[in-house]
Amino acid sequence: MTDEGIRALLQRADTAGGNPVFSTVSVVRIRRRLRERRIIRTTVPLTAAAVVALAVAILTNSRQTQIPLPEPQPERIASIEEQVKQLKAQTDATLKLVQEVLEKDRQRERLAALEAELAGIPDPVRQMEERVDKAAFVLLYQADRLYKELNQTESAVAAYKEVIQLFPTNQWADVARERLDQIEQRRINKSEDKGETKCEPRNV
Amino acid sequence: MSAMVRTSEELDLATQFRQGDDSAFDRIVERHSAEVAALANRLLGWPSDVDDIVQEVFLSAFLGLRKFRGECRLRTWLFTITVNKCRSFRFRRRWSLTRVVTGDPEATVGSGPSGDQGAMDEETFARVRRTVQALPRRYREVTVLRYLQGLQTQEICEMLGITANAMQVRLNRAKTRLREQLGDLFEDRP
Repeated sequence: MTDEGIRALLQRADTAGGNPVFSTVSVVRIRRRLRERRIIRTTVPLTAAAVVALAVAILTNSRQTQIPLPEPQPERIASIEEQVKQLKAQTDATLKLVQEVLEKDRQRERLAALEAELAGIPDPVRQMEERVDKAAFVLLYQADRLYKELNQTESAVAAYKEVIQLFPTNQWADVARERLDQIEQRRINKSEDKGETKCEPRNV
Repeated sequence: MSAMVRTSEELDLATQFRQGDDSAFDRIVERHSAEVAALANRLLGWPSDVDDIVQEVFLSAFLGLRKFRGECRLRTWLFTITVNKCRSFRFRRRWSLTRVVTGDPEATVGSGPSGDQGAMDEETFARVRRTVQALPRRYREVTVLRYLQGLQTQEICEMLGITANAMQVRLNRAKTRLREQLGDLFEDRP
């Protein structure tokens, strides 16, 4: 397809498309159109502004009419103030009660802690009793050794008497008394065997 | 009438209009309205009714004629306004989703040359017009201005604000597309 071929084809198609239709253009018509445009340009924004202003005015007016201002009522205000005071007093009392309960809980917790601490500490009286008991036992054990293993009866008797003297209420003092009785009984038996009677009063 | 004389006359008309002679504008309208209407008709896809565009073009010309300095021909200046108005019109039309209405084929039957058209009928011409309309804007404008309005390269470049090289590139690409889509119409023709 040559350049001239394209031109000829397009021109024929254009011709077949028909002539354009348009009305006469004149200065009068253009001026009228300009006036219309000017009117539209000035009228539309003014109308819009007026509509907005009217809407705002209506809205404001309706709000004012919808929410009337409350009239002052002194009695009602006093009643409300009294109620507020009562509520405040109740609140204070409740708070005080809550504080007391909390303080009691705190004291109870502190007491429990002290008791637990005290329970951890050993009883000194008992400790002393245990020591006394141990000392009495040791002394009795020494006396038993003197009497049974070393056959030192007199020293053993002195030791048993010492146990009874030092720890009269202790259980080992009773044992010492039994030992002394046994020794005395044995002496009596020996003297009977030899024909002697010996009666010694008990000093214990 | 030479181009120089014509330009001188156009300048005189513009000067008279600036001095308050409304009849000068009427003479300008009388002289160029048909060409403006034809250009608008072609750029808008042959809708036939181009009254709105023509009115808009001359309204803009009426408002801007006082600033016309005569650096180009008055026709070129009016065509530039027309091209810009058509661009805006097509843009608005695209968004308003209005279908392009081409001319009624029946109304133009017999109006064109019939003897040398050969096998080409109205349907073929409608296809050609649709193809031109389907071209991208930059190709469509140079095609219409060059082949249908018969403007010279310099005049087209002034109107569109492009260089001669750019115009030639656009024209070649437009021809390539036309050949691709209308090549079968020329198979029987040398």
